[in-house]
Amino acid sequence: MPKSQYVKPGPQFEKRTIKLRDIPVCAYDRSIEDEKAVYSRDDFLGMYADMAAIREFETMLLTIKQKGNYNDKEFTYPGPAHLAVGQEATAVGQAYTLGVDDYIFGTHRSHHEVIAKAFSAIKKLSDDELLKIMQEYNDGKNFEVIKKYTKSNGDIKEMAREYFIFGLCCELFAKDMGFSRGLGGSMHAFFLPFGIFPNNAIVGGAAPIATGVALYKKCNKKKGIVVANAGDGAAARGPVYEAMTFANMDQFNDLWEDGYKGGLPIIYNFNNNFYGMGGQTKGETMGYDEVARLGAISKTGMHAERVNGWNVFAVIDAYKRERELIEKGEGPALLELVTYRFSGHSTSDASSYRTKEEVEEWQQYDPLTVFPAQLAEAGIATKEELDALNEAVIDRNRRMFDLASDLNVAPYTDYNEHPDFIESVMFSNKKIEKMDDRPVEVNQTKEENERYQKIAKLSRSAYGEDGKLLPKMRVYNIRDGLFEAIADKYYEDPTLISYGEDVRDWGGAFAVYRGLTEALPYHRLFNSPIAESAIVGSAVGYALAGGRVITELMYCDFIVCSGDEVFNQMAKWQAMSAGKLTMPFVLRVSVGMKYGAQHSQDWTSLCAHVPGLKVIYPVTPYDAKGLMTAALNGTDPVVCFESQKIYDMGERFVEGGVPEGSYEVEIGEPAIRRTGSDLTILTIGPTLYPALDAAEKLEKEFGISAEVIDARSVVPFNYEKVIESVKKTGRILLASDACARGSILNDMAQNITSLAFDYLDAPPVIVGAQNWITPASEYSEQFYPQVDWFLDAVHERIVPLKGYTAKKSYTDTELLRKAKKGV
Amino acid sequence: MATPVMMPNVGITVETCVLTEWLKKKGETVAEGEILFRYETDKSTLEQEAPVSGTLLEIFFGEDSDVPVMTNVCVIGNEGESVEEFRPSAGGDSAPVEEKPEEKARENNIVINNYENNEAAAPAAENAGFIKASPRAKALAQKTGVALKYTAGTGPQGRIIERDVRAAVASGRFSSGAAAGEYNGGTGSGMGGRFTVSDIGSGSAAYTDEKMPLIRRTIAKQMSASLQTAAQLTHTLSFDATDILAFRKAVKDGTAGVEGNITLNDMILYVVSRVLAKPEHRALNAHLLENDVMRYFSGVHMGVAVDTDKGLLVPTLFDCDKKPLSVISKEAKELAAKCRNGAALPDELKGGTFTVSNLGAYGIEHFTPVINIPQTAILGVNTITTRIKAENGGIRTYQAMGLSLTYDHRAVDGGPASRFLSELKETLENFTRFLKEQEG
Repeated sequence: MPKSQYVKPGPQFEKRTIKLRDIPVCAYDRSIEDEKAVYSRDDFLGMYADMAAIREFETMLLTIKQKGNYNDKEFTYPGPAHLAVGQEATAVGQAYTLGVDDYIFGTHRSHHEVIAKAFSAIKKLSDDELLKIMQEYNDGKNFEVIKKYTKSNGDIKEMAREYFIFGLCCELFAKDMGFSRGLGGSMHAFFLPFGIFPNNAIVGGAAPIATGVALYKKCNKKKGIVVANAGDGAAARGPVYEAMTFANMDQFNDLWEDGYKGGLPIIYNFNNNFYGMGGQTKGETMGYDEVARLGAISKTGMHAERVNGWNVFAVIDAYKRERELIEKGEGPALLELVTYRFSGHSTSDASSYRTKEEVEEWQQYDPLTVFPAQLAEAGIATKEELDALNEAVIDRNRRMFDLASDLNVAPYTDYNEHPDFIESVMFSNKKIEKMDDRPVEVNQTKEENERYQKIAKLSRSAYGEDGKLLPKMRVYNIRDGLFEAIADKYYEDPTLISYGEDVRDWGGAFAVYRGLTEALPYHRLFNSPIAESAIVGSAVGYALAGGRVITELMYCDFIVCSGDEVFNQMAKWQAMSAGKLTMPFVLRVSVGMKYGAQHSQDWTSLCAHVPGLKVIYPVTPYDAKGLMTAALNGTDPVVCFESQKIYDMGERFVEGGVPEGSYEVEIGEPAIRRTGSDLTILTIGPTLYPALDAAEKLEKEFGISAEVIDARSVVPFNYEKVIESVKKTGRILLASDACARGSILNDMAQNITSLAFDYLDAPPVIVGAQNWITPASEYSEQFYPQVDWFLDAVHERIVPLKGYTAKKSYTDTELLRKAKKGV
Repeated sequence: MATPVMMPNVGITVETCVLTEWLKKKGETVAEGEILFRYETDKSTLEQEAPVSGTLLEIFFGEDSDVPVMTNVCVIGNEGESVEEFRPSAGGDSAPVEEKPEEKARENNIVINNYENNEAAAPAAENAGFIKASPRAKALAQKTGVALKYTAGTGPQGRIIERDVRAAVASGRFSSGAAAGEYNGGTGSGMGGRFTVSDIGSGSAAYTDEKMPLIRRTIAKQMSASLQTAAQLTHTLSFDATDILAFRKAVKDGTAGVEGNITLNDMILYVVSRVLAKPEHRALNAHLLENDVMRYFSGVHMGVAVDTDKGLLVPTLFDCDKKPLSVISKEAKELAAKCRNGAALPDELKGGTFTVSNLGAYGIEHFTPVINIPQTAILGVNTITTRIKAENGGIRTYQAMGLSLTYDHRAVDGGPASRFLSELKETLENFTRFLKEQEG
């Protein structure tokens, strides 16, 4: 909402029509004779060889799946096989134009795109570059195999093709020599040195991520474009629309500074094979008639075209034209490549949704038949030469299969020897203060910045010299702690960008970013569309491409709007790449308190449940700054929870207040906020403060001395301090603002019971929010843990308090009743 | 907060341990892991490390005290911290090093103020069936000897929680580990009201099954091992005790010219050690080890069997053959006293090369002592009887004392053993002269 853009009412009501741009369909109309002037014989033969290589690779998988053998060797492959038999020309045409700096993203069905892109990169890289890649990747282990068994006769490029097919087979067969040591598999194969980014098994899942990589290229002035491959089925997916919307933002041209203007360098490439699994997109499950129509979401029409994807030259032609537009800053683009798969959706597909006649008619146009015939007819090569070429490709595939399926050559990962293998790649746990060494781009110095100036006047402790609480307005608070950590990082790491809903101008809905608008150019801080999938998904892409990013979801409740991106993408790519990718991405989510049921949920438990995310919840200014600094110095995906209840809370625990310089609070270490000997209270989030009040009351009125521990982090979590405390007190109450059922507190209680069973004087007790919808703030005392609830729980489940009457029932009967009713 | 250090509970049947030596003084700084004191159970010496670093604020028991297990022995903390809450309540057989005029109530820092003196201080009627108690309360009950069966629970839904167990301890309703099986929920005669084995049997039961104390079990093991491995047989003879009795009278009269209250047993120890030291009898001052090895000793380390309340103990009088009679006499008495007080150090209870067991005081005329393996022999000393013998054509009565030598036939044959025994007889019958030759 920049003030520079005036929203004038008059024109909004003028009578007019909106004209959509015409969408070219099968615009390519050249003949093979025309193309002979453009391409060399080697080009033509290379195209055919690559198409044949894909066909053989897919045939191999089909044979293994259907017959349990290939090349006369019995072999079982239990993994997925979404084959692209029939879609070879589409992939080869796409890859032909792409350089090594151009990146592709694929889908569950992307063996063809991956092989085509790899073979294209191999053609474009020098022999020395290829040798270097092969020697360095996986410590050269795969290369050793290839060197021993190659039949390339000194042809480094052929050796590289063998190398790639071998590594791809290994990845599919879950072998330790797979490109991601088998942790990715068929649907997630990728190889960064050849510009192949992770394929995604979630339909349309790659679109937001690819958008983030394009954003990375743009914000960091990196060469190349990004291709987000998707099927026609993905055209229905919300995240795909969100991603394209994000990539088409007006601000790229209208607001971003010179040098950064222009749309994102990305092509959304829909391979339209007419079926989304079995659902026929045209005629049954969609209403667009042609995928290319989706370009209408942008005033540019995204330069959309519908292209004959079975004609490799038509694909190349379309790509060349789209690239030209993108390089002029007119991206993004959308292509619909018409293609057809002869194979089923997967090998378990009986093709019950289409007729034999339909498949047979398409087979008459099979590029693997038509293309070599064209080449022979045009006199580019004889049929014998082409057959020999095909034979060589088949032979290579067979030999690489033999190696990859041989346990002596390519063993499985030895989990007996390395039981912690996957554990070791769940987090990268690196500390990299800046992701690039170039100077940072800022509009002001820190000294010139109003927010820094304002903070300088605040007391860095909540207490004055007289030991009394200072007025809130005079105190450095949690907002300031977050700001300082983030702003300091902006002045250190040139790759750091941040975006989300209303982060610029407004300064974030809760004013954490106030002051950053003035300090930063648009490309480092901008408002995103209200598109949580795109916000999180693109940040995943930005991070795995090599940048550092913070995005904000205004309310924690919106996490589920980006459910796939948070839980399947952000959480998983470090491990699915066997540690080859890092994810320096901090996702800020704010937990509300007074906007009702969809704006006030603490979902730390959801984030803690899915392996791969670090989860922090600072509730003091010292921790806000220290944990955020630790998250920003790290290379792991961190979800940072913030509570709207306490943004204005001053520092009450750290003597001397919040330090001005940079420091880290170790993620995973809880803090003891109050010492005591009779009861331990462990809190997550702002519940710390009522817990402290309850501790005071227990001490004063009942002589029970409570130790209060603030978890600070949820994942990872070091139990040592808590166990030490419980061994002393014998009693523990765990509390947070999350609904009690399924709360991570239950998991912690269970672990504490395991670790300190013989020391327990009562079962651990959970005090959480009610298992209800959140009512209006007028009733928040009925919903969130209150001071009395702590006393009630202690009285009824831990140790009866003399003369105390509980206000809320924590009895067995009540517990059973509520569980039975599902509340 | 200050940290108390307890006398550890080293075995289910151990009720007390003897605190033998303090390595740290009150007021001294100790580091975690440093040895605070040594203590012993029947036959082993153990060391107690400091569980934390700090100042040794208070010592509740001096050296040689017999301390009930799980009783606070000392307190480590910071200068100026109170130790009173850790002071063991009076009772037991050892006095605190520093006397405090009044017995301070055991402070219960977990119990809520409102709950002091509530019904938890009274024993529960016997709890029937499943007893609801927290794991912490169960662990503490086991450690302190509180029977949950007789403990009232004040936790939620009547659960026995930690404070209930502490209340039971404070009111003396707990038992020693050894007496736990017989505990009936009341107080006993032990320290702080603890119910101990000595409280068992006051009822009218037809019989009681008692687990043997460790010392008893150790003796049992040693004795059966001896009889199972050694080829032992006993030779008995008697000697004319006229001379030693005369010497004894002289001792009593103060005319013997030797210091100390020399008893008949002292004289026997003296003679046995001298005769045994002769090379020709070395097989009897030896150990028969495994693998057919005989270990011969250059000195005679005399085991002296002592009957104590707890059972047989055999302290060692080292280098007995080199000590004058007065020293032997003094040391033998000291060792016996230590054993009877339970204060003998483990090192004093091992290392013997030969044993003398004197049952004369009980009127035993003849017995077959059991060898304390790996020793090769043991000499039993019997009572004095009046005998007659022909002398100068007439008959005269004389006082005779019996000696029973059990030896391991694997180590020595009957001939040499008999020669040793008759040399003893010869020497003892001429004790006064022998002593003169030896000591001048």
